Amino acid sequence: MDIQHSDVGDVRKVVLAGRLDTAGVDLIETRFGASIVPAGKNTVVDLSQVTFLASMGIRMLIATNRSLSRKGGKIALYGASPAVREVIDTVALTELIPLADNEVEAIGIVAG
Amino acid sequence: MDGGETQIVTFARHTDVALESRAHCLELIEGSDFGRIFVVGSAPVTLGRTSPADIVLNDSEVSRAHCKVVVLNDLLVVTDLGSTNGTFLDGVQVTEPTPVPVGGVLRIGRQLLKHEWRTEREILQHHEFERELRKANAYALALLPPPVTEGPIRSEWLFEPCSKLGGDAFGYGPLGDSQFMFYMMDVSGHGAGAAMHSVTVMNLLRQRAVPGADMTRPEEVLRTLNTMFPMEDHAGMYFTMWYGVYDKASRELRFASAGHHPAYLIPPGRPEAIALRTRNGPVGADPETTYRADRVLVPPESSIYLFSDGVFEIVTKEGLQWGLGDFVPRLTGPGALVTGECQRLYKEVRGLSQASSLEDDFSLLVLNFD
Repeated sequence: MDIQHSDVGDVRKVVLAGRLDTAGVDLIETRFGASIVPAGKNTVVDLSQVTFLASMGIRMLIATNRSLSRKGGKIALYGASPAVREVIDTVALTELIPLADNEVEAIGIVAG
Repeated sequence: MDGGETQIVTFARHTDVALESRAHCLELIEGSDFGRIFVVGSAPVTLGRTSPADIVLNDSEVSRAHCKVVVLNDLLVVTDLGSTNGTFLDGVQVTEPTPVPVGGVLRIGRQLLKHEWRTEREILQHHEFERELRKANAYALALLPPPVTEGPIRSEWLFEPCSKLGGDAFGYGPLGDSQFMFYMMDVSGHGAGAAMHSVTVMNLLRQRAVPGADMTRPEEVLRTLNTMFPMEDHAGMYFTMWYGVYDKASRELRFASAGHHPAYLIPPGRPEAIALRTRNGPVGADPETTYRADRVLVPPESSIYLFSDGVFEIVTKEGLQWGLGDFVPRLTGPGALVTGECQRLYKEVRGLSQASSLEDDFSLLVLNFD
């Protein structure tokens, strides 16, 4: 599991790569939260290199989204593979965090 | 002189630790009964699948007499006993009597045992902790309703927590004279914290006493729970839930799900699995969530399956990641129609899984309707 972050204008961009299962979340959860919440910026998360999303990964996304929203920021996800998109849809994650097709659309959602 | 006194105190502490006797132990860190500790002394201890092995490991990949361990000159030594699948120490196959360093890990079948060098006090504390966990687990199990084998709505279930305590919970029972409620929930995370959270919610639902909520209205139950259990106030935990109320006279089922995958309705003849869910966020994750319910007619002689994601989130022996879509087809077809359906599915999933023990709680509830 790998994580990188950068800024695109005023928006924080976080790229996740690998399996977001229990082991993967253990590896990156602290860095994921630290790369998003303290800055308090609107954030887009690139899931295109995430090969599997398990319930622990969903928990990480929800917890970080909640922490950021309390600071006035928003998160949007994008680039999910069909398998990851299916998981997101099954648990209705988009009721809490929007899912876009690409980076431009995701930035538009959080900046809008 | 103050410095001299300090030196004496420091020395005494070191002496206490050094004098406390220690024992070589093997702790199951992965496998059928993980968390257990076995103390090894100067008498050889045999590990195998069945008695008369001193340490019995319930694992089909473990031979009857697989290997033995013994302490020689204060070293823990392992010897393979001609096992079919071999004994491995830190990934290397054991071909002759081999010392196991403290911290070294033995792989025997699908079981992992770590060499620990512990004081008697640590061993006693560990056993005490294990006893307390077993009591807590027994309490959580006691809250689950007994299977119903007779009557117009029969139930069976299987609950297998991946750790000593699990975050899954489910229940069912009458709601007044004419209705029947049932639910499944899954707290984010595992272990004692998740179990305490699920027990709290389970007790409310057992009493049919979610404050201010009409228990016959699924969307109202979920909305009220969402108000009561915000994740900020509960150590960052939220939960997913599926909740339904069946009306015996009209055969109508009202249901709502909250971040939970669908329950499945299997009509008579088992031709298909009909997904029952509504798109709502999980409980506790966002105070603004609105909850919607839906309804369906339950045909005579139908079944409904509720389960947690631990039932289908597995990696197969071939290394393939399973998802909901891989599991659902197993609900249709012949099945074990009367009883034993939960065991059938559990065995299938366990048989396919790569891991020696499931990585998540396995909770499955099957309701059969007249």
